[in-house]
Amino acid sequence: MLNKEINYRNPLVGLGYETEDILPDGGFGAVMAHAGVGKTALLVQMGLNTMLRDKKVLHVSLHDAVSKVDVWYHELFQNIAHNFNDAAVKEYWENIQPRRFIMIFKEENFSVPKLEERLTELMEQNIFKPHTMIIDGFKFDEIGRKPLAHLKELAGKRAIRIWFTVHAHRHEERAPNELPVWFLHVADLFEVIVELAAENDGVFIKAIKGGTPADFQTSLHLDPSTMLVKGSK
Amino acid sequence: MKPDDKKVRNIGISAHIDSGKTTLTERILYYTKRIHAMHDVKGKDGVGATMDSMELEKERGITIASAATYCEWKGYEINIIDTPGHVDFTIEVERSLRVLDGAVLVLCAVGGVQSQSITVDQQMKRYKVPCIAFVNKCDRNGANPFRVINQLKTKLGHNAVAMQIPIGLETQTEGVVDLATMKALYFDGEMGEVIRAEEIPQSLLEEAKAKREELIEAASLFSDELTEAVLEERGITAQLLYSALRKGTLKREITPVFMGSAYKNKGVQPLLDGVTYLLPCPSEVQNVALDMEKNEEPVVLANDSEKPVVALAFKLEDGKYGQLTYIRVYQGTVAKGSTIVNVRNGKKVKVGRVVRMHADQMEDVEQLPAGYIGALFGIECSSGDTFVSPGVHLTMTSMFVPKPVISLAIVPKDNKSQMAMAKALNRFSKEDPTFKTYVDPETSETIIEGMGELHLDIYVERMKREYNAEVTTGNPRVAYRETITQRADFNYTHKKQTGGAGQFGRIAGYIEPVSDDEFVFVNEIFGGAIPTQYIPACEKGFRQSMAKGPKLEFPITGVKVVINDGASHPVDSSDMAFQAAARGAFREAYLRAKPVIHEPIMKVVVETPPEFQGAVMGLLNQRRGMIIGSQDEGVMCVIEAQVPLAEMFGFSTVLRSATQGKAQFTMEFALYRQVPQSIAEKIALEVAQNKKSAA
Repeated sequence: MLNKEINYRNPLVGLGYETEDILPDGGFGAVMAHAGVGKTALLVQMGLNTMLRDKKVLHVSLHDAVSKVDVWYHELFQNIAHNFNDAAVKEYWENIQPRRFIMIFKEENFSVPKLEERLTELMEQNIFKPHTMIIDGFKFDEIGRKPLAHLKELAGKRAIRIWFTVHAHRHEERAPNELPVWFLHVADLFEVIVELAAENDGVFIKAIKGGTPADFQTSLHLDPSTMLVKGSK
Repeated sequence: MKPDDKKVRNIGISAHIDSGKTTLTERILYYTKRIHAMHDVKGKDGVGATMDSMELEKERGITIASAATYCEWKGYEINIIDTPGHVDFTIEVERSLRVLDGAVLVLCAVGGVQSQSITVDQQMKRYKVPCIAFVNKCDRNGANPFRVINQLKTKLGHNAVAMQIPIGLETQTEGVVDLATMKALYFDGEMGEVIRAEEIPQSLLEEAKAKREELIEAASLFSDELTEAVLEERGITAQLLYSALRKGTLKREITPVFMGSAYKNKGVQPLLDGVTYLLPCPSEVQNVALDMEKNEEPVVLANDSEKPVVALAFKLEDGKYGQLTYIRVYQGTVAKGSTIVNVRNGKKVKVGRVVRMHADQMEDVEQLPAGYIGALFGIECSSGDTFVSPGVHLTMTSMFVPKPVISLAIVPKDNKSQMAMAKALNRFSKEDPTFKTYVDPETSETIIEGMGELHLDIYVERMKREYNAEVTTGNPRVAYRETITQRADFNYTHKKQTGGAGQFGRIAGYIEPVSDDEFVFVNEIFGGAIPTQYIPACEKGFRQSMAKGPKLEFPITGVKVVINDGASHPVDSSDMAFQAAARGAFREAYLRAKPVIHEPIMKVVVETPPEFQGAVMGLLNQRRGMIIGSQDEGVMCVIEAQVPLAEMFGFSTVLRSATQGKAQFTMEFALYRQVPQSIAEKIALEVAQNKKSAA
C-alpha cells in the first residue's frame, strides 16, 4: 500500500515517464528552479521513490549537513505515509533507510576526482552500490564542462544515473529552449531537464527536455507545504 | 555572602574530549588565586584524562573536576560547574546545563568543531544556555582559530565573531589582539600572570582593523546606540561594544569567540573578562518548574530570595563528613536550620551545614540565596531531586532518563571488597540515574547496567580507586528486548481444584503490537463477564508477564493487551486466580504473536583523516553498521553510522590500529531495532547455553 501511495505521488511518473527509471544508465537529469522553490524536496522525493523500488540512492550534498539531509528524507516520507499506522511506517522506514547513503562535501573541497575516489571505495568494499545519485548544490557555472563530462563517463561506467539540482536566477538571460544561457554549455549532457516554478497557489513542475511531446502539455501541481504532488493542472 | 546577584556567574565549561578543558579550568583557578600551583593533565586519550584528573584531585585534595568550584575574578563571583566530557555521561552533562546560566564552549584550534562539541551544543540549545567560545591550543601545529570560527558558523549554526586575533600561532604564539580595546595583550611572568597591554604590531594592524569592523557590524544588530555611533562615525568604546555583544549573547544570537592556549598560559584572563562581561547573571535567565498540583503546568520561577524555596540537587559527592549534596537555588533562600521538603518523596529535611566549595577548601555560610550554588551536608537524596519550602509543590522539569543498554556482572574478590563494592554501587546509582544495579536472582551475581561499555568501565575503575573494591567483571551483556509483530487472540481459563478453596478465572481478548508505548492495557468488557474488582488483577498479571519473555527471557515491550470477555466463579475467583489467568493467557497468545528480538542500536560518529575513510567505513560495515553518511571537512572526515551495540565491543582498539591512532569516535544510544534472523538464532543458542551452565 505504501509503495502504491508513494508511486502515485511521484511527480515524474505523472509527467508521462512510464518506465521505472526515468534516466538510462549513465544518464543525467536536472531539476531547475529559483532558490527556495523546492529542488531538494523534489529530488528527495525521487530518491525515496528509488529506495522504495529496492534500489540504492547516493545523496551528495554540497551545502547541507548529514542530519539535515536525513531530516528531508524522513519528513517527506512521513508526509507521504501519514495515513498509515505508526508501527508500519516505522518498520517500513527502517527497511528502506539502508538503501540511502548521504555524502557531504564542502563546496570548496568538492571535485569530481574526489567523488570518484569515495564512490570507488564504497563500491569496491561492497559497502554501497548506488543505482541513482543525487547531487545537490553543484555549481555548473563555475565547474565547467570537462569535469561534468568526466562524471558522465564515470556514471556510464558504473551504470549509475545522476540527478542534479540547478539553481536558476531571476532576470537571467534564457535561450529559446528556455534554458539559462550559462547552462547551455553542458545541456547536451542531460537526458532530462525539468523546471519548478512557483505560482500563486503552488509550485508547478514542467519538462523542458526529455519525455514525449504530450508531456509538455501537462504540468503537475506540488503542494508547497509538503512538496508532494497534488494533481495535474 | 554578597547579595548582589548581578556579580554572580554560574558557568559551565563544555568541551570535546582532549580539547583542554581540565587545563583551562586549572588555569582559571590559578589566576583567580584558588590554587597556587599548576600541573598538567597526564593522559591523552579520553579515559586517561578523566581518570588522571580524578587522581589528581585525590592526590592534591582539590576539586578541579568537582561539581561546582567557586572563584572570584575582579569582584565577580564565578561558579564553575563541571560538565563531564564523554557522551556516555550525557545525562550528567544535561543536568549540569540546567544548573548553569552560561557556558564556555572550548574548542581545539586544530580539531575544531568535533562530534562531541555538536552533541554538547545541541544540549545547550535545548536548555537555551548562552555561550561564548574559547579556541584553545593555538600553540599546536596546524592551529587555525578562524577555521574553527567558520566551523562554528557552518556546523553549529552559530553567529560566531572573533573577539581577538592571535599574535603568532603554533610555536610562535605570543598573545592576542583584543579587538574591543584594540590593544595587543602579552602574558608575561612565569605562569602568564602578568598581562602587558601594548600597541598592536604593525604587521597585524590591518587584519585587526578588518576583524574589528566585522565585530562591530555583528554587534550593531543588537544596539541602536552602537548603530548610531557607527553611522555618525564616532569612536566606539569597548564598553559600548561589550554591552551590544552581551545583548546578543544572552539571546543566543551571537557567539563571541576568544582564543589562546591554556597550556602555554595565553589568553585565559581575557576569557575570564569575557565571562563577566558577556554571560548572564542568575536573574537574567528564566527558569521554569512544573506545578505538580496543576498537572505539571510550567511555572516561571522568580529569582527572588524572599519567595518560597525551589532548589535542585544536581550532584552528590562523598565527603569526609558524609554525603555532600550540591544544590542550585532557583528561588527563595536555603538557610541553615530551615526546613525544606524533597518533592520526590515528600520527606521533610532540616538544613544543617551549608557550604560553598572553593577549589581547595569549604566555606561555611549561613544561607544560599536565589541564583547561588552551594552544598549541603547530611541530606539523604538522589541526584536530580527538587527541594522546596513546605506547602510548595513545584518540581524542576523532569528529565527523560534513558534505559540502560548494557550490563555487566561483577564479582568482588574478597569480603572486604564486597563491603566496599556495595557502598560504591549505592553511591553511583544515587549520583547517576543512568547507572543501575541489581542482584540477578538466578545467578546471584551483582549486575551493573549503564549506557555504554566506557560508562561501566569507568565505574568499575572508580570502585577500585575510590573505594578499594577489587572486582572481576564478566563479559558485557547487551540489553535485548522482545516484542510481538502481529495480533494474537487468547481465551484462557485458570482452574485449580486441589483441596480447600479453588481458583477460577477465564480471560479472553487479544494482544497486538504498539509502537510508542511499552505496555497498554485496554478493558473492553461489558456486562460484568469479569467483575470490575478483578480487572486490576488481570492488568497486574499481564504486566508481570512483560518482565520476561517465555522463551528467551528478555523483557518484553510494545504490547497492547485488550480483554473483551471472561468468566468468574462466585466462590473460587480471586485476585490471585485472575493474575494467574492473565499470565496463562499471555503465554498462550505470545508465541502466536510472532515475537522477535530487538537490540540497542548506537549512533556512532567517527572522525578520521580522509585517507582512512574507506577503512573506517569497512570496519563499520563489518559490524552490521548502517552508514548514514559521511561529511568531508577537508582535514578530517566525519562518518555517521548506526551500529548494533553488540558489535561495538572493543571497537576503540580496532579503530586505533586501523587508523594509526588518528581517528576517534563517540557513541550514544539511538534506538532499538529488530535483530536479523541469523543473529536471533545465535542469541537463542547463547541463552540456552547460559541457562544450561547456570543450572
